[in-house]
Amino acid sequence: MIKKFFALLMASLLVILAGCGSNQTSSTEKGSTSEKDDKQVVTFWHSMSGVPQETLNSIVEEYNNSQDKVQVNAEFQGTYEESLPKFHSVGGTKDAPTMIQVQEIGSMSMINSGNIEAIQKFIDAENYDMSGLEENIVNYYKVDDKFYSMPFNSSTPVMYYNKDAFKKAGLDPEKAPETFEEVEEAGKKIVKSNDQMKGFALQAYGWLFEELLANQGGLLLNNDNGRTDTPTAVEFDNEKGKSIFEWAKRMTDAGTFANYGTNSDNMLSGFLAGDVAMFLQSSASSRDVIDNAPFEVGVAFLPHPEAEERQGVAIGGASLWMSSGKEEAEQNAAWEFMKYLQTPAVQAKWHVGTGYFAINPAAYDEQVVKDAYKEMPQLQVSVQQLQATKPSFATQGALMDMIPAERKIIETALETVYNRGDVDEAFNSAVEQVNAAIEQSNAARGK
Amino acid sequence: MNTESAMPFEYNQVHFEELKKQQRKKVFLKGLLFLLPSLLLFSIFIFYPMIRTVYLSFFLTNQAGITTVFVGMQNYIDIFTSPIFMKSLTSTFLFVLFTVPGTIIVSLFLAVIANEKIKGIGFFRMIFSSTMGVSVAAASVFWLFLFHPSIGFFNKILVTFGFDKIGWLTNPEWALASVSLSTIWMNIGFTFLIILGGLQSIDSHLYESANIDGAGFFYKLRRITIPMLSPTLFFVVTVSIINSFQTFGQIDMLTKGGPSNETNLIVYSIYREAFVNYQYGTASAQAVILFIIILIMTVIQFKLGERKVHYQ
Repeated sequence: MIKKFFALLMASLLVILAGCGSNQTSSTEKGSTSEKDDKQVVTFWHSMSGVPQETLNSIVEEYNNSQDKVQVNAEFQGTYEESLPKFHSVGGTKDAPTMIQVQEIGSMSMINSGNIEAIQKFIDAENYDMSGLEENIVNYYKVDDKFYSMPFNSSTPVMYYNKDAFKKAGLDPEKAPETFEEVEEAGKKIVKSNDQMKGFALQAYGWLFEELLANQGGLLLNNDNGRTDTPTAVEFDNEKGKSIFEWAKRMTDAGTFANYGTNSDNMLSGFLAGDVAMFLQSSASSRDVIDNAPFEVGVAFLPHPEAEERQGVAIGGASLWMSSGKEEAEQNAAWEFMKYLQTPAVQAKWHVGTGYFAINPAAYDEQVVKDAYKEMPQLQVSVQQLQATKPSFATQGALMDMIPAERKIIETALETVYNRGDVDEAFNSAVEQVNAAIEQSNAARGK
Repeated sequence: MNTESAMPFEYNQVHFEELKKQQRKKVFLKGLLFLLPSLLLFSIFIFYPMIRTVYLSFFLTNQAGITTVFVGMQNYIDIFTSPIFMKSLTSTFLFVLFTVPGTIIVSLFLAVIANEKIKGIGFFRMIFSSTMGVSVAAASVFWLFLFHPSIGFFNKILVTFGFDKIGWLTNPEWALASVSLSTIWMNIGFTFLIILGGLQSIDSHLYESANIDGAGFFYKLRRITIPMLSPTLFFVVTVSIINSFQTFGQIDMLTKGGPSNETNLIVYSIYREAFVNYQYGTASAQAVILFIIILIMTVIQFKLGERKVHYQ
């Protein structure tokens, strides 16, 4: 019996070993063929899923077919939050990808990691012209007058609303509410006309809080949002920051607020099912929302409190980073691909296929975009919102490596308010916690 | 004379002792050789990471997890004065309290009814143990649909019967209960299978004699089934408690620790500290605390629980 078992064990081990062996040979074979073809392989980690992933894959495929020097392998590595720690743990080793897509708040953490090659080096080497890019994007990604990463997918938050529900409630479907107060009023009318529908949903999401703050000209962190020096404390601990909490509180009390917690999928499906009439989300979801809604969808600018003037939004989204310690040929190949992604034709396809806006404004003159606008004028709103933005430290966006922690803290505080918690208590405790996080983060850097 | 005769004897004695020592050394080395593979694996995958965790917990780190500043016990002081970590501890204990008895009672019930010899029982046994084949991720997605605030199955039922909708995963009063409910469902398969195995190994003579004596179903359950099942139950309780303390997947999928940190169980809190906030020091300190808690719980169980266990 035991002998038989051992024989079986041996046999299975053999199979496993053989499997490993053949795997290895096949991968080396692959390597040698690519050398024969003289194709430089570039590994590209990204975090695009759903419709954007399909669009990205088709762009990569077109690039690979368009020339015979570079082979880009796009690999999905989970959400931004998942791929960044992965990069940090393999950064500097040979397992690191040639290039990686990192969301905007990961920028400082990438720069501090020391495992990246600032793309300014490549820009200088061939005097590449970056001035063709959207001004606000350049403002965001230029740190200390230097480009560390190549902007790629950028979006801003916009307000989506259900036009049919607006009509039913006697509101003008072509004129979306612009201020916090107008959103509240519209919400009340919608609930009155249909008691199965809530007025407004604000996902407990730190990014939306930051954007609503920037739209009032409020700074998140001191030292000019971390743009002039490393922040040492928060700067949203004022009326501007609090107004967002109070707004949510008033709507919760009025019974017009739909609480989906931190889950954006639930909020989206709630909107599509007609459970809520207005919500805020990234313009990157435009195509998804417009294509899937059984009613007419309106897209509008981000609301602001009546007392404050609209300042505009900071861009969200991600940029492409180059690994350091790679061979020059490999880096140059990745650089070529980065430049390809910026071309108007590719950006046009990207914009229309997803709802991210084109980082290269020349893309808006492409025929694909013009056709799409005729069919879906809503796609234009995020572009207009960005172009109406007033450049300032507030709309440039905050820069620090502890922003992911800040977002979690704000999300918790928002949820407390959604569940009828006290505004002052939640807000003050959030300020305290973010300050502590900043302190610890600065201490950990040993400065 | 006396000394002369004693000499060789003593010499012999020493020689014998020496031999014995050598023999023991040989046996020890041989034993060590047998243990070597597991010792090696344990040191690489368990002991080294553990020591490293303790080491990291005394430092602040940069984003790559490399130590920068030595802070001594400060990380421990920080987490124990942080209301968020204390809440996380309370939530974890509550979660264990909800899920472990829940899982075991439901599985025991299912196992007892599935232990009857009737036609087609194999089908039911398969159904009852089927959740074992569902991954945490898949199960969580499925429960996410059930819990959906507006189009979810549970809320649809509530509305049909004229009740108000419940924010299963967004209301702080419900969230932990909802996550526990889905966890119980996920754990039933495994627990059911183990308990059923235990039930089937109980000698049927015991039941036959009880039947002759005219014992009722519940009497047999109390006096035969439960005592004979106690080794199995002990195993299941220990494993379930450890599992509950280490719950991560469903939290990440269902609530992400929300609403308001209500379901921020300790392992999720460690994950967040380390891989979202990049504070590997604090995360390590929390991991050490978790290790100590599980250690204490297991020791207590073995001290108290094992006395009541009846081994055949």
